[in-house]
Amino acid sequence: MIRVRALRKHYQVHERPPGLAAALRSLLHRRYKTVAAVDGIDFDIAPGERVGFLGPNGAGKTTTLKMLAGLLHPTAGEASVLGFEPRRRDRELLRSIMLVTGQKQQLLWDLPPADTFELNRAIYDVPRAQFRRTLDELVHELDLGGLIEKPTRQLSLGERMKCELAAALVHGPKVLFLDEPTIGLDVTMQATVRRFVKAYNERTGATVILTSHYMEDVVALCPRVIVIDHGKLSWDGALDELVRGTRPEKRVALRLGAPASASQVAALGAKVIEHDDAHVVLQVEVAQLSGVLSRGLASLAVDDLTVEAAPLEDVLSDLFRRGRDERAARAEPAEPGA
Amino acid sequence: MTALARYARLFAIQLRTSVLLALQYRVEFVVQAIMSVFWTATALVPLLALYDRRPSIAGWSRDEALIVVGFFTALKGVLEGAIQPSLGAVVEHVRKGTLDFVLLKPVDAQFLVSTSKLDVFKGVHVLTGLGVIGWALHALGRAPGPLAIATALTLFAVGALLLYSIHLLVVALAFKVVKVDNLSFLFSSAYDAARWPSSVFRGAFAIFFTFVLPLAVMTTFPALALLGRLPARSLALALGLGVAFGLASRAAFQRALGSYTSAGG
Amino acid sequence: MSARPASTRSGFAPTLRAVPTLLRIGFAGVVAYRSEMIVWILTTNMPLVMLALLRAVAAEGPVGRFDAARFTAYYFATLVVRLLTSAWVVWELVYEIRQGTLAAKLLRPLSPLVPYATDNLAALPIRGALVLPIALVGVLWAGPERFTHDPLSWLAFVVSVAAAWAVTFLVMLAIGTLSLRWESSLSIYDLWIAAYFVFSGYLLPLELFPPRVLAVVRWLPFRYLLSFPVEIALGALSRREILLGLGAQLGWLAASALLAHLIWRDGLRRFAAYGG
Repeated sequence: MIRVRALRKHYQVHERPPGLAAALRSLLHRRYKTVAAVDGIDFDIAPGERVGFLGPNGAGKTTTLKMLAGLLHPTAGEASVLGFEPRRRDRELLRSIMLVTGQKQQLLWDLPPADTFELNRAIYDVPRAQFRRTLDELVHELDLGGLIEKPTRQLSLGERMKCELAAALVHGPKVLFLDEPTIGLDVTMQATVRRFVKAYNERTGATVILTSHYMEDVVALCPRVIVIDHGKLSWDGALDELVRGTRPEKRVALRLGAPASASQVAALGAKVIEHDDAHVVLQVEVAQLSGVLSRGLASLAVDDLTVEAAPLEDVLSDLFRRGRDERAARAEPAEPGA
Repeated sequence: MTALARYARLFAIQLRTSVLLALQYRVEFVVQAIMSVFWTATALVPLLALYDRRPSIAGWSRDEALIVVGFFTALKGVLEGAIQPSLGAVVEHVRKGTLDFVLLKPVDAQFLVSTSKLDVFKGVHVLTGLGVIGWALHALGRAPGPLAIATALTLFAVGALLLYSIHLLVVALAFKVVKVDNLSFLFSSAYDAARWPSSVFRGAFAIFFTFVLPLAVMTTFPALALLGRLPARSLALALGLGVAFGLASRAAFQRALGSYTSAGG
Repeated sequence: MSARPASTRSGFAPTLRAVPTLLRIGFAGVVAYRSEMIVWILTTNMPLVMLALLRAVAAEGPVGRFDAARFTAYYFATLVVRLLTSAWVVWELVYEIRQGTLAAKLLRPLSPLVPYATDNLAALPIRGALVLPIALVGVLWAGPERFTHDPLSWLAFVVSVAAAWAVTFLVMLAIGTLSLRWESSLSIYDLWIAAYFVFSGYLLPLELFPPRVLAVVRWLPFRYLLSFPVEIALGALSRREILLGLGAQLGWLAASALLAHLIWRDGLRRFAAYGG
């Protein structure tokens, strides 16, 4: 469905040294340096999958997304989407994909969203009957009744994002690229967007590829994540395996009915993350979980208790730190004789 | 006096920021310089073509009319370099709702918004304009006395004040009608008429361009002053108009600010 | 660079099917911006200022072949042609490139150029309606005898206005696309428009220029963007001159289309290499 092999994107970046003399010199003779935004990655995505692209800023997520959409041409390697080479911009491919970005909108600002829907119907050449049916479904699922006849500029950010999603889906794309779709939205609206995308994927079988800085988007939507760091793939697989593999320990949070002393807490035999009069948060290896829990319940006045995996933010920063260390180790070869 | 000094210092800081910003784009300076010369030259073509056929138009010889063009060009530099960028920024503030940040500062809001953004490179027009005036005076074989120069400079300043006040009035409108960048565009297109000596306009045009949109005061009056032909009456009229427009625009702006604040943004 | 030009492989028929809807939405957009449009029409007031000036000059005796009434006819015709042939795609493109919204348009199975053109064309009905009273005032003030009475000339007028619009649009497209490569492309547009104002006859009828200037103007495109249709409307040209002029317009049309095509292709290639 989506197939990526040894995909690379290198940029020539113009280096401009500071200072007037250097600036004038660089007018005549520019110095370039090559930056590898994406440096050889491979993956496959099956139809109907929901995949999250994760990575720090500038890691190559968006570059990869743009290459899959055909907006950027790869320097080397191979990418294929639905059997097409994206950069060739075949009409059939363009009709089957869509990119939604939270930061840039495609809705016509001074016209009602209904006009943008109609415009996309014409541009994507959607038969009218099918258009009506799809639109009715979207209006129902996103609860757009009454919104789509108002000029876009009068809508709130959340309402606009819902209409933005609808506009992106009137032609029933088979592949949906979502680039930071929930940015700036309030918590309820973020949840609405997630719920909708998930339901849409389950109903239509469309493939969803998501980049987001909100880990909750990824946790809620993507069973599989692809982590890109410094242009390379640092993880591709199930989200919970990533968490288990990187941070096998669990977080145990206890709400206390009565304060506990430091020695009491230490006696539980787990790493203490937080401890005050009303709460204790522990980091516990999975193997010791039942022991720690039973000791805690026996020795402390526990009102409430939760066990969770480490937050995804922590998992990722561990992963990126590990990547950084490895790169540093490679850059500085071992000392002679060592 | 200390307040004045403080505002002068503030202005110097804003100017410095703008210059530093401009220096980042050195190539832009060359582009703007070429643009200014090219633009002035093309604007001269119709004037020269007409004077090819007539020794004088509405009582102005070619070289005298060139002085008007010189003042027109120089004042255009002030308009595009100082007035339009900063007052354009106000419209942007109102649209985005970021004017609150400006209003929160312990400085006169009108001063702050009026000096917030300068397009230093448009200052090239001022140099080009002075060049045209110098050329015309040389062709006329005339060297104006110190009094004429002082009067002309005063009138040039009055012209800048008038341009600024009219723009400020337009901006005050921006609080009510947000899509006003259009309106300032309309104004700068009307300003183009100031490149001709005002005596070519008759009847309703003449009254309009003296009192409603005082283009005559901005470019023709300074040229007359330089030629030593400006009646004292006109000088008084110019100063009066300058004061009136200045006060009226400040009042309108304060009023607009008041309505903006009370509306709660 | 291995990148090939990214042309959308769009079918011709689907594009054609989309056009009516594009025009309709474009028209809705124009209606939403109607007040801006009126202000913008008022902005085009230079011909009236020049008319005031030259009527004052003509009061002392005709300038060349121009007396006051002929100046009136000339500048009203100029105003009408200018209003009918203007486009705004250069600002639209530069804005979209700076904001990065062009990328989304490139993802659609339809070249972005098509909506740009239909948006500009969709304004024609309203613009025409606003221009009509101006034309009427001009005819009544100057006198109907100052304009051509030959129906074929009026047909040629319509064709030449359409061609002038197309060249204007394509040049704007080329300059706007340049901003994918060069941020100051609007400066080029400023140069273009400054030259246009002088050499198209917008400020002064071209025949009043000294012969030296006219020799240069002959080889520039600007006359065909404004003065040529105006000259047809005023009945200043013989049939032969009209035909020759239409031919020249066609030549400039082809040249500007080629230029716009090359710059667009180059811009997209760069876009695909560096992103927007």
